Amino acid sequence: MQVLVVDDSQIMRRIIVSWLKKAGVGNVLEAADGSEAVEQVSSNPDIKLVLMDWNMPNMTGLEALTQIRSSGHKVPIVMVTTESEKERVMEAIKAGANDYLAKPFDPKTIKTKLQKYLTG
Amino acid sequence: MKAENINPFLLSVHEVFETMLDCPVETGQIGATEKKQGPTGIIGLIGLSGDGKGIVAIKMPPTTALALVGKMIGEKLRSVDASVVDGIGEVVNIIAGVAKAKFTNLSLSLSLPTVVRGDICKLSSQFDESWVEIPFSSELGEFSLAVGFCVATENEKEKKHASTCSR
Repeated sequence: MQVLVVDDSQIMRRIIVSWLKKAGVGNVLEAADGSEAVEQVSSNPDIKLVLMDWNMPNMTGLEALTQIRSSGHKVPIVMVTTESEKERVMEAIKAGANDYLAKPFDPKTIKTKLQKYLTG
Repeated sequence: MKAENINPFLLSVHEVFETMLDCPVETGQIGATEKKQGPTGIIGLIGLSGDGKGIVAIKMPPTTALALVGKMIGEKLRSVDASVVDGIGEVVNIIAGVAKAKFTNLSLSLSLPTVVRGDICKLSSQFDESWVEIPFSSELGEFSLAVGFCVATENEKEKKHASTCSR
């Protein structure tokens, strides 16, 4: 399965990719902002999970999520962010996010949280 | 600075290091004499605005920065490059984000993080009265967190709200 990691921070992408690989996910794609994420999801039907950062240049994670959902794509999208307030979580869920992962997280948390999507 | 305003940042450092880096930290004496990082020191800064305003800065020597970011990505790093700068920016972003969420009675926003090289003697005179530096030690090396933060008064919050409503 392919997982798409979306974050404008290259180092954060490297961390998440490294942890996904430890969790057994070898096929990981990367995008540096929301518009790249929309493009990748549109052109790559093998993407089975998207891990999306919130605050990014060009197009935010919320904007990308909204666009992906309005195009009819049902790929599971997990928002990854430091914004852990309830309002922001609800905003993301209403826009079509499947789940939410708050930084800081550790490798065990990422594996547990994403288990249902990784084995689905 | 009131303890209720500094504690979220203190707790945040512990939480971030222990969760993401599996690295316990020890808090040094708050307000201890600032240790100069020298011209090659690395400082990650982020601004806070909203019901409170201020700056949070994490300061460290290059050795700590290399160890910290190296631990994050599981690699041994030898020189401070764009990845290390990016990593320190991410760390200060996460620390400020976790602290922000602990201020449950304040609505705060974060700026984008900035990372600079060198040493800063005084980050801002605006926070002379509410500026605190906290040293930390860890297996990754020493670093410090500098926080200049003040909460808006009820009057200032009302003015801001009135200004927003009148637009």
